[in-house]
Amino acid sequence: MNGIPKENAGDIERLVEASQAGDRGSFDGLVALYQRRAMQVAVRMLGDADEAAEAVQNGFVKAYLSISRLREPKRFESWFFRIIANTAISQRRAGKNRTEKIKIAGDCENKKAFSPEDREAGKELKEAIQHAMLKLSKKQAQAIALFGIKDLPQDEVAEIMGCSAKAVRWHVFKARQKLKVLLKDYLE
Amino acid sequence: MKKEKEQIDLLLRQNESEQLAGVNWNRLQTSISKRLNQADRDKTSMMSYRRVFKIAAGIATAAAVVFIAVMIKTDMLTTARFENGPKVIGTFVASQGSAKVKILDSNEQTNQGKDQPTWIIIRTSEPQVVDNGQSRDENDFACLM
Repeated sequence: MNGIPKENAGDIERLVEASQAGDRGSFDGLVALYQRRAMQVAVRMLGDADEAAEAVQNGFVKAYLSISRLREPKRFESWFFRIIANTAISQRRAGKNRTEKIKIAGDCENKKAFSPEDREAGKELKEAIQHAMLKLSKKQAQAIALFGIKDLPQDEVAEIMGCSAKAVRWHVFKARQKLKVLLKDYLE
Repeated sequence: MKKEKEQIDLLLRQNESEQLAGVNWNRLQTSISKRLNQADRDKTSMMSYRRVFKIAAGIATAAAVVFIAVMIKTDMLTTARFENGPKVIGTFVASQGSAKVKILDSNEQTNQGKDQPTWIIIRTSEPQVVDNGQSRDENDFACLM
């Protein structure tokens, strides 16, 4: 998963507690640990890397400003992903800050590895997914985005979304049904 | 259905991979760090605004308390002053014995809502019509003079 370091829960808890005590360096450590997974969630919900980067930045700022109110540091992960998912949802609805966002994607070496045809096809797929995700309800978009994150167990997704695991599966099912219709041109 | 489900997941994963492949992680981390610095600055300035606001509110409250206290005291003094009645500087009694002219100290009347700097109250009773050959109007005129 994009080379995310596997930290043990104790280390994360210590970083969270230090951040709650006002240690900025510890929060920077959390940023380094979670920025990739946060981007994964946001990209799945928004379809575009630059949009996702905007949501992730805003999400980290929200988390930074409210981390002192987190009662159980061991629940940081679900708390944090809830912030990211909600921020992405708000951004998806408002479509704001489109002009202010910083170009995060587009000039990386990996991107150049794709042929022009691949890039064109990728752009088309991106736009189709963006359009399709906008047609999903908030819960469906959150469920399909979080469900696809490999090392995020279903019960944690349920905790992030504030519903039961059964309800999460239902939202995923409904989301897939809608996406099947909306993305039919891309399905074999 | 299972195949379609897998295909949808595959499409989402494909787009995710393509989008994330172009992300400059160092730039993103720097950008987040800048946002956090800005949030810190905003928080600090918000705290100083709050402090200034608290001081200003304290001063305004103290001024309001002083103002109310002064108003109450002034009102009590005025009431006490009028309880003794307006000060009479002079009294003239007309020769007919039926009217009084009082010249009052204007400073004693400032709280009665009158604008005149000095004023004279003429209090007169019905002139006694005596059978001395003078008309009633003449009697009134004598009072005013």
